[in-house]
Amino acid sequence: MSDRPHPILIGVAALVYLFLMLPLVIVVGAALSDTTYLTFPPQGLSLRWFENIFEISAFRRTIVTSLQIAFMGTLLALLIGIPAAYALNRFRVELPKWLGTLFVLPILVPEIVFGFALLKSLTVGTGVPIFAALLIGHTLLVLPYVVRVISASLASFDFSIEEAAISLGSAPIKTFFTIVLPNVRAGVIAAFILAFITSLNDVSVSLFLTGPGISTLPIQILAHVEQFFDPTVASVSVLLMFLTVAVMAVVERTLGLTFLAK
Amino acid sequence: MTSRRFWRRNGATGWALSAPATLAIIGFLLIPIGAVIAGTFMDPRGVFAPYISYFNSGFRTTVLFRTLQIAAITTIISLIFGFMTAYVVSRAPGKLKSLLIVAAVFPLLTGVVVRAFAWLIILGRNGILNQTLLGLGIVNEPLEMLYTQGAVIIGMVYLFVPLMVLSLVGVLENIPKDVLQASSSLGASPLATFWQVLLPLAVPGLIVGAVLVFTGSFTAYATPQLLGGERQTVLATLLHQRAMVSFDWVGASTIAAIMTVITITIVLAMSNIARRINPMAT
Amino acid sequence: MTQPLDLHAISAHYGTTKVLEDLSLSVQAGELVSLLGASGCGKTTTLRLIAGFLSPTTGLIQLGGRDLTRLPPHKRDIGLVFQNYALFPHLSVLDNVAFGLKQRGIGSTERRKRAMAMLERVGLAALADRAPGALSGGQKQRVALARALVIEPPLLMFDEPLSNLDAKLRVDMRVEIRQLQRSNGTTSVYVTHDQEEAFSISDRVAIMNAGRLMQFDRPEVLYRRPANTFVARFVGFENIIPFKVVARDGDVATAETAGMTLRLSQASYGAIPDSFLLATRPDGLVVSTDPAAEGLPAQLGLRTYLGRAYQYQCVTEAGHLVANGSLTTPLEARASVKLVPMPEQCTILSADGAQ
Repeated sequence: MSDRPHPILIGVAALVYLFLMLPLVIVVGAALSDTTYLTFPPQGLSLRWFENIFEISAFRRTIVTSLQIAFMGTLLALLIGIPAAYALNRFRVELPKWLGTLFVLPILVPEIVFGFALLKSLTVGTGVPIFAALLIGHTLLVLPYVVRVISASLASFDFSIEEAAISLGSAPIKTFFTIVLPNVRAGVIAAFILAFITSLNDVSVSLFLTGPGISTLPIQILAHVEQFFDPTVASVSVLLMFLTVAVMAVVERTLGLTFLAK
Repeated sequence: MTSRRFWRRNGATGWALSAPATLAIIGFLLIPIGAVIAGTFMDPRGVFAPYISYFNSGFRTTVLFRTLQIAAITTIISLIFGFMTAYVVSRAPGKLKSLLIVAAVFPLLTGVVVRAFAWLIILGRNGILNQTLLGLGIVNEPLEMLYTQGAVIIGMVYLFVPLMVLSLVGVLENIPKDVLQASSSLGASPLATFWQVLLPLAVPGLIVGAVLVFTGSFTAYATPQLLGGERQTVLATLLHQRAMVSFDWVGASTIAAIMTVITITIVLAMSNIARRINPMAT
Repeated sequence: MTQPLDLHAISAHYGTTKVLEDLSLSVQAGELVSLLGASGCGKTTTLRLIAGFLSPTTGLIQLGGRDLTRLPPHKRDIGLVFQNYALFPHLSVLDNVAFGLKQRGIGSTERRKRAMAMLERVGLAALADRAPGALSGGQKQRVALARALVIEPPLLMFDEPLSNLDAKLRVDMRVEIRQLQRSNGTTSVYVTHDQEEAFSISDRVAIMNAGRLMQFDRPEVLYRRPANTFVARFVGFENIIPFKVVARDGDVATAETAGMTLRLSQASYGAIPDSFLLATRPDGLVVSTDPAAEGLPAQLGLRTYLGRAYQYQCVTEAGHLVANGSLTTPLEARASVKLVPMPEQCTILSADGAQ
């Protein structure tokens, strides 16, 4: 083909990718450093800063909280998001257009405003426990992603297959689980991963919904960075990256990574 | 019987299935945010009092304009580099293309705190960049790079370039190949095809990408907090500071309202423009 | 203006797969040649090679003596009509047609004048300011045609241009394309998988299979005298029966297949080699109930009604054959009959499949 991009463009793209990758490499290097201050390249390799994460109880607790919230929030969002996505596609003609728009709204609203609004109305206003407020916040944070990703895979689903199953005598609810869900499995898994990672890394919503004794890992990292400037934060960051890689590896095993490109 | 009634194509089933999610969004998102915005108009000093006092404060208007400026610069830089990169990625052969896409997805899935922190290590007073510059003898004393607008913009560009690349790769891939081939069969040079066909067809996608980056950087918290500090206060950090440090609920709500209105206005206006000029919509 | 096109020994690969092998083809100036074959036969690859979107591994492409082989597509000066029209969605109909003129540095007034004139020729002048998205399939195809013609290219190429149109429009459009091509006298290459379309529109047709040229001739010759078994089957010779000559008596040869014999006269069939294939269409094998008829004994199977005749699936010692029988006497299954070859509907192929 004669449409190979100009060498200058290829050079720019290479620099952009270098710009994207290098900082992450630096974080990993700093995390493995043996020194008590942040430096790169690492002077002497050690895992002592990783051990330090677990010696600081605040980190220990927040890792657990973050995983709990991400897991429960994602499940809740799937629980209410899958039926909604199904309804929006299956009953596209019958349901009003604004209903679809409603599910885009949470993306339009600045996350930090959403977090602040929840703080005002839930925690302060009605005295909902912090953990519950945090869970509600994260469920709503990831709900639009869930609805959007699953809608996308339902959009290419041929609903006449479902009608065929029902005409063959399969009950509607059973048909949903045996025919519809298996065919959008990739979409559900993608939605789970995207939601889980979004929740795990969230700052803006959690910022207002954390309180005495209950915090998430990113918020704890933020607080720690402002007080100490040691490689612990680098190693926590690496731990967070590692969790992301682990989740992506699971995807690679089950689906292949290219689906993320869709 | 029940199953037949279920399958009559009426909206009731649809409403029932979407009800939990719909109610959750209304109850936990629309009403709380509506209440925050409505609250700002119930000030005893007058309906617009919080806004008047906001815009009367030199510091706070500076923060608003700084935030807009940072978001605009971030958007322009991301647009330029994102488009060039996306063009190269979209032209790459199959396997390399998947690899490049995964490489762009990975930083996106890494949290904002981690990514801002990386730049803290690089740009800090004793950071890698200063160490390198001092080591090479280019400077005699460490440069103050942190807590400047430049640092915030670098951090933001770092945050949003992958998003721009991914969304523009999608846009470029959606442009039918035979339209570009038609252009060259009619005698248009590669450069003419780029300016006269590819770019005009990509504009709606560029607008969507720009809106995504602009609103994202306009409302970002962690990056300006870590790389800009108090010296580069933006709306998001000001909101947090007003609410959690000063307990100034009215002030915080006013900032929240301003952010929401600006964000939604820009999104609606720009996506309307993008839709109107999209030649592929018809 | 109009120029001959020559392909010399072209081969092409996609990765390690060979998609085109040693293809040589000459299109005379002003001639319309179709490339005909099933998908994957190499016809579209050939078109893309000529257009310059692909490069041949070996071989030479010449247009009017000019070597195109290494020239980038935008310098080849070939009018191309795409399967999906490939109109520029962001430009009006008029600007679409004027696009090629703009690339040739023609001023905007002149550009507009020529584009309008061309739109008038295809009957779309009234839609000049429309966006292409608002047009019907047939109108889009006319715009695509006008856009390719207005640059007055020495070569015009069509890539399955009618495949997205409905049946009626397809027939109208192909007449229109042929008329425009005739009146301009532009050398043309037309890619299609539709035999009727290719035969009706072309001066000559190149039938392709698996990256090779099977036969290149006038439609009449292809239809009557296929050069090999592939082309024979492609143009509807459903029965291909191997024979060996066992005796000759002057003009008449007695040929044998699977224990059955048939006497064939060279006066009607042409020269009959010692070993040959007899290819017939169903029309060329007539069902006869006369036990004395000179034909192959067969037992009838399923009967279907074609309107002009009945068609029978037949079982013979030489295998399964398809034959037609008269409308006046429908025959029942399992009837024993003779299948009588009609020389003018048959052709003799040499035993190795070539003529």
